[in-house]
Amino acid sequence: MAGFLIKRLLQAIFVVIAITLVVSFAIRLTGDPAMMMFQGGGSMTEEDLARIRQALGTDRPFLVQYLAFLKGLVTLDLGRSFSGGASVSQLIGDALPATLLLAFISMAVSIALSIPLGIKAATSRGKVADQIIRIFSLVGLSFPNFWLATMLVLLFAITLGWLPPSGMSGVASYVMPAVTMGVILTATNIRLVRTAMLETLQSQYIMVARAKGLSESKVLYKHALRNCAIPLITYFGLQFGGLLGGIVVIERVFNWPGMGTLAFDAVAARDYPVLQATITVLSLLIVGINLLVDIAYGLVDPRIRTE
Amino acid sequence: MKINRGIQTTFMAIAMAGAALSASPALAAGKMTISSPQDPGSWDPIDTFLVQWAAVATNIFDGLTYRGPDLKIVPGLAESWDILDEGKRIRFKLRSGVKFHNGEAFDAAAVKFTFDRLLGEEGAKGPQRSNYTSIAGVDIIDDMTVDMKLKSPDPVLLTKLAGYGAMIVPPKYVQEKGADFFNANPVGTGPFKFTSYTPKIDIKLAANPDYWGGAPKLSELEYRFIAEPSTAVAELQAGRVDLIIPPTIPIGMISVIEGDSKLEVVSVPGPTVDALRFNTKSGLTADPKVRKALIMAVDRATIVKSILAGQASEIASFQGALSFGYDPDMKPLPYDPKAAKALLAEAGVKPGATLQIDIRGNDATMNEVAQAIGSYLQLVGITTTIKPYETNVLLNDIIPQGKTGAMFQQKWGGWTFDYDNTAYSMYHSGEKWNPYDKDPELDKLLESQRPLTDRSERERILKQIAAYAADRALEMPLYNSNAIFGINKRVKGFVAAPDNRLKLTDVTVD
Repeated sequence: MAGFLIKRLLQAIFVVIAITLVVSFAIRLTGDPAMMMFQGGGSMTEEDLARIRQALGTDRPFLVQYLAFLKGLVTLDLGRSFSGGASVSQLIGDALPATLLLAFISMAVSIALSIPLGIKAATSRGKVADQIIRIFSLVGLSFPNFWLATMLVLLFAITLGWLPPSGMSGVASYVMPAVTMGVILTATNIRLVRTAMLETLQSQYIMVARAKGLSESKVLYKHALRNCAIPLITYFGLQFGGLLGGIVVIERVFNWPGMGTLAFDAVAARDYPVLQATITVLSLLIVGINLLVDIAYGLVDPRIRTE
Repeated sequence: MKINRGIQTTFMAIAMAGAALSASPALAAGKMTISSPQDPGSWDPIDTFLVQWAAVATNIFDGLTYRGPDLKIVPGLAESWDILDEGKRIRFKLRSGVKFHNGEAFDAAAVKFTFDRLLGEEGAKGPQRSNYTSIAGVDIIDDMTVDMKLKSPDPVLLTKLAGYGAMIVPPKYVQEKGADFFNANPVGTGPFKFTSYTPKIDIKLAANPDYWGGAPKLSELEYRFIAEPSTAVAELQAGRVDLIIPPTIPIGMISVIEGDSKLEVVSVPGPTVDALRFNTKSGLTADPKVRKALIMAVDRATIVKSILAGQASEIASFQGALSFGYDPDMKPLPYDPKAAKALLAEAGVKPGATLQIDIRGNDATMNEVAQAIGSYLQLVGITTTIKPYETNVLLNDIIPQGKTGAMFQQKWGGWTFDYDNTAYSMYHSGEKWNPYDKDPELDKLLESQRPLTDRSERERILKQIAAYAADRALEMPLYNSNAIFGINKRVKGFVAAPDNRLKLTDVTVD
């Protein structure tokens, strides 16, 4: 297990370095933050640009800037935002909990809904319950998330006035963003659980379990669910990564002060330090979750631990 | 122990969970909530050109002069001024008895400190300094009198002193607390005092009862940063925001606001103008005949009327009617496809010729406008391709490097409303925004008006420049867009400012 973990850890570090290198390089190809500062400001001279570049440190060679960023990562000093000079660590410290909370709640909502519904659909295959659940899932899949978000806002915030249309200001403000994310995830997850269950239920050991006279719930939740847990955990883990990406749109629609908003603004302003840091933190998260998924395999399936 | 905001909010929220599931508007009397599309990140006057900074900071800071929604220059922190030495020295008599929000007295030393800082090392790190390079320095004559010495006369300086980098800052506070603290905790002499700022979320201000211009009627202002237009409009409809400032509301959303009986749209001509400029150096559009033909082939008036839905006016030169140097007698080239065809034939352009129009991809209005222009050009035998770019790429790379198609969108507008700002950047040889054209005669005209303090003479030359540029058909002039505000009708006394610099002293909320 230890060797396996170290190997995975080294891989993860390599992945994060590769991502930051690509992001840092690419963002520098598409625009000069010094020029961005003069937008709407009229005439600027080459000299004006040069003194701003010097103040921002973007006049240094790319490799020097990148190494300074890596050093900052190690010493946990991520520098200052180009737009306004706020501490990047502080900005991320504020934004990360907002995004993670939203992602975890959405994920939890989705898992809590999709496992029982997926199992129900699998056990009543072809019957009315199955049909209804499958139609629900298809409809959920077909919603573009921003459209669903807009409809929810129209109904619950404007027409009924029950929920705030945007911002993060208490439990009520979590409802619409989490439901929007959750519904779309649930729609996919139900299908996944259903398929995995159907496959497992045809296995011989399920027949054996039933033949032993075990109760139906024990058969389903103890034997069947545990055996289809591996593909589900893999999928939920990967999905969490995708979720962090998709949250950018949801954060923008709901004006959620999270990582997506931070990254979005940073791209628009060519705010290199903020963008590099947000991408690094998000990729660390995704890599970390994949690592956890690998560990979780070992927990649910003892065979993998020994391999 | 420091708890992060997200976690903190959640704990609080869970604690109040019972009551939290309702979102009734919680606006206290005398409080106004404003939706602004962007957080400038710093409130220090020397750090930014963003209009969203000015929308807030006009309430926190004052300049020596003041320019309100009528665009007239009136006394601000200076009670009066005399222009001396043929425009190379301005003597300001300062307003006495004014105090900064932290209790520091406003005096000549504060004025000197402000401009020393702007023109010195601190100012060198920010963009604002470039606007004030005509100032050589400030001399203190006595406690309430300063002399501003200029390197050369600057006819736009009194306007520039009314905003942005010229806002007067408190010397002791800035020196003691440092630049980083000042960025996030601004102190000025304005009608509202800073109370709190949460990056990316909001900034809150409270009334300054001792304001020299009289205490404001509102007790509180909150600016929330909401980038997404539909979200801002939803907040307005839900009654949680009283005012949406530009540039937020796209033309397509005006009907949503007008459809709500509690809300209204207020719009005034703004500083922003749009034109399609030509590559005058190479290709089809190097020939002025072709450029004129292209302009005449497009029915600009109809485009403005139908696509811009009345929220813009047609222009004849690259400026709006509020701009100094605007000539009301100047008419754009007429829409005349027959004459356009004849001109194209004369220039030897064969039917089926192609050209490319570069535009900002996120500018929904321009996307429609460019398509309409493409159809008009098709009618005179020119096939167009529209190439949308990410705005920053177009601005930072494609235009300055001269890598555009035959035509490219330029959106422009300075808060000073002076045609010089536009014309010099667009037409003078070697300027960043002028990658193609070199015209010594135009350069001379542009340079000749810069030091003139005689307003009427300068205006005459500016009009001449506009006519000259139109004669050479340097761009296809399109429109001057309105600044669009969305407002709740319970807000009273609101006057929309063309430049978005809203001083909200006389506004009330029922």
